[in-house]
Amino acid sequence: MTTVELAQALWLLVAALGLSLSVQYAGLPVLGQGAFVAVGGVGTALLGPGGAGWPLGLAALAAVVVAGGLGHLVAFGASRLEGAYLALATWALAWLAYRLMLAFPSTFGGAQGLVRRAPAHVVSPALGLDVRLTPAVHVGLAAVTCVVVILAVIRLDKGPAGLDLAALREGPELAASLGVPVAAHRRAVLTATASLGAVSGAGTVVLLGLVAPADVSPLLSLQLFVAVLLGGAAGWWGPVLGVALLTVLPHVADALPGDAERARGVLTAVLLVVVLVIRRVLSRVRVAVPDVGRERPVPAPHVPHDVAGTHPVLLEASGITASYGAVRAVDEAAIELRAGQVHALIGPNGSGKSTLIKVLAGELVPDAGAVLVGGRAPTGRGPAARVLAGVAATPQRTVLLAGSAPERQVAVGVRGGTRPRHAVLRHLLGTPSSRLAERRSRALVAAVLRETRLSAVAGVSPTELTVGEQRLLQIARALATGARVLLLDEPAAGMSADERATLRHVLRRLAGNGLAVLVVEHDMRLVNAVADRVTVLDAGRVIAVGRPAEVRASPDVQRAYLGVTG
Amino acid sequence: MDPGVLLQAVVSGLATGALLGLVALGFTLVAGTVRVLHLAHGDVVVAAVFTGVLVVLGRTPVATTLSAGPAVGFALLVLAAGAALSAAVGWLAVRPHLPDVTTGRSGDALGWVAALVAAGLLLRELLGLLLPEQAYAVPDPFRLDAITGSGVFSLPGGGTLPARVPAVLLLGVAIGVAAERLLVRSRFGKALRAVADDPDAAALCGIPARRVVLLAFVAAGLLAGFAGLLYAGDPGRTIGVDDGVVLGLAGIAAALLGGLGSLRGALVGGLVVGVAQSIAVTQLGAEYADVVPLGLLVVLLALRPQGLRR
Repeated sequence: MTTVELAQALWLLVAALGLSLSVQYAGLPVLGQGAFVAVGGVGTALLGPGGAGWPLGLAALAAVVVAGGLGHLVAFGASRLEGAYLALATWALAWLAYRLMLAFPSTFGGAQGLVRRAPAHVVSPALGLDVRLTPAVHVGLAAVTCVVVILAVIRLDKGPAGLDLAALREGPELAASLGVPVAAHRRAVLTATASLGAVSGAGTVVLLGLVAPADVSPLLSLQLFVAVLLGGAAGWWGPVLGVALLTVLPHVADALPGDAERARGVLTAVLLVVVLVIRRVLSRVRVAVPDVGRERPVPAPHVPHDVAGTHPVLLEASGITASYGAVRAVDEAAIELRAGQVHALIGPNGSGKSTLIKVLAGELVPDAGAVLVGGRAPTGRGPAARVLAGVAATPQRTVLLAGSAPERQVAVGVRGGTRPRHAVLRHLLGTPSSRLAERRSRALVAAVLRETRLSAVAGVSPTELTVGEQRLLQIARALATGARVLLLDEPAAGMSADERATLRHVLRRLAGNGLAVLVVEHDMRLVNAVADRVTVLDAGRVIAVGRPAEVRASPDVQRAYLGVTG
Repeated sequence: MDPGVLLQAVVSGLATGALLGLVALGFTLVAGTVRVLHLAHGDVVVAAVFTGVLVVLGRTPVATTLSAGPAVGFALLVLAAGAALSAAVGWLAVRPHLPDVTTGRSGDALGWVAALVAAGLLLRELLGLLLPEQAYAVPDPFRLDAITGSGVFSLPGGGTLPARVPAVLLLGVAIGVAAERLLVRSRFGKALRAVADDPDAAALCGIPARRVVLLAFVAAGLLAGFAGLLYAGDPGRTIGVDDGVVLGLAGIAAALLGGLGSLRGALVGGLVVGVAQSIAVTQLGAEYADVVPLGLLVVLLALRPQGLRR
């Protein structure tokens, strides 16, 4: 391997490491890293010496910024939808960049490629700098870039960004319900990926003096995708292994009979298939690894108490009407949740309980009506904004972050509820404030696990949890956001009798700590035992509110439940 | 812009748009049924055409006019190949990554994305090994250019177009509308919507969900076959084995424009993309032929992924 080839491989590794942030860590299918590499290369060549004549560093920086902006823009629309749209958007971008380069030969040099007509020299009289960029210098520069990126990624993964990434990868919808701004994080990740792609392109064009469409084609995008997928959950050395394989691939292709370009394509496709098979096998074999070796949580303060006896209203909704098409699921419903009380929401199937909870949680915008949190209309839309206002909901189905131990899942909740500015950057730099925040977070996680009776299973694999523990974990995550109002949709579903008793205890304790807890529940024994107040919905309308005994006695309720007419 | 030239550009754009609509229809059908973005759909279109070419004309095809027998055989072969390839891609690449109630497996978007790009790449490269030239002229089994005696079609305003252009437009729209009506009205269409709404509930109602999904891919493949025949049969055009990706992405742009999942929207979206492309090419130059649909798709996804309807 010549020095030039080594330098080229190292610059390619920068692109792969950048892509691994999106694919490996955030679980985003990005198929357009080649386009960002192209922007870096073409931008540097066009703007720098030999082109528009900007200093080389400035030209490269500008190209990186443009690529990052492009990544942000592409993610802007697609990140609000399912992850797969990002695959489509980046795949289209890969082809757009490729076809643009071919379609406008006067600008991009056509199939031959764009030649950088400048000596590989960095001269800065101001800094007294005069460096010849020999291949050996490139090897050094690219290697340092790779090491810095790898170290940064390893460090990031251990801090708050690691929680964000795990949430993006394992359960974006759940993360959103815990207040994690999923779309913003996706944009940030793709911006980083694109920027590193452009760094790789800029380095390569200075090294080779040329950027040709065939070298930054959609095939490159796919090869980088394969390289990164190959690593799977392996961590930073996955991309390293993948890029090593990519550098061997052309040699293998040349040795095969027939057109070498075609052979490369076939080999890439075969690699993709192999990677997919490996992934499937692994997903069957791998039982999520428990987070062993993680420090045990330090003892922690209590979740704060409110003054007992007073029950201020924490959440108030009135005139809520919500429809699905022609069906009016909730019809002018009103509900009041008070601090220190467990409030049960009951009613026959299809009476609109889940719809009402979705409205309260900010997941569904009602056709009419108002929701006030702490007497004020919460700013912002969606569940993430509601979490910041202090209202967190648990979904009816149990959703787990399949690869994260319970304590880490609870930490995602902490992260969603408190959003300190530049937390990721501060963690990367290891500032005192970030260390303090981490200690606080760990203490809060421990307290929450204790409140929800999950301390014993804090570090186990989530697949080992019983249904009841999974349900409690849902409550724990929501509680960890710092919410004062918890909205629990059928928390007892699937629980054994013992687990129901635990749940009853947990709910009473939460209310005792001054929280307002709303519970949708079918089990009337549980409701009678745990609820301070009950609201009964029937056909979307509130037909009774009061203490459990009062509600039970109401003829309207008996009619709704027993189906007696007249 | 001279109105005669504009009319010319619009009509030929509508013709391209009609066949793009068929590609978009297939894409939106799959997306609506199994919530998968069929990234290899364009490759299925082109691979279907070349399968017919390989069987009927061999590995060194030359531009010919097929006589009646081979023409019918070629057309049927392309349709069958479209259906078979689409079904194979659906079964081998997509199905293993779909959510499955019986095993409790959840869907794996990263998996089907990777599998679909692998499938598309394999189709392209394997065909490329068999057919090494840049591009090939493909016969038109329908002989649409002979539809008027002179081979040209006069437009009001003095412009003329090849006779096949309005024929492609009519045929494309007819196939699209017929397919759309069939999908809305038939029992199969109802089963599709049921599976799309809730596969578990559909299965409980006795709808064979797996078979319905497979049939959705077959239907998309048939539409791909028709689109391929209309696209490749143009005597003024040669096609290469790699052309499928951009064709497919143009179809996806059309499907998104019409609102993903909407069959009628896909047909209309196809016409819009076709006209935009045609006007750009006549006004700005042939180099914009690929750039316009690809750019449209990127911008659409960045700014308005839900389409223009909502």
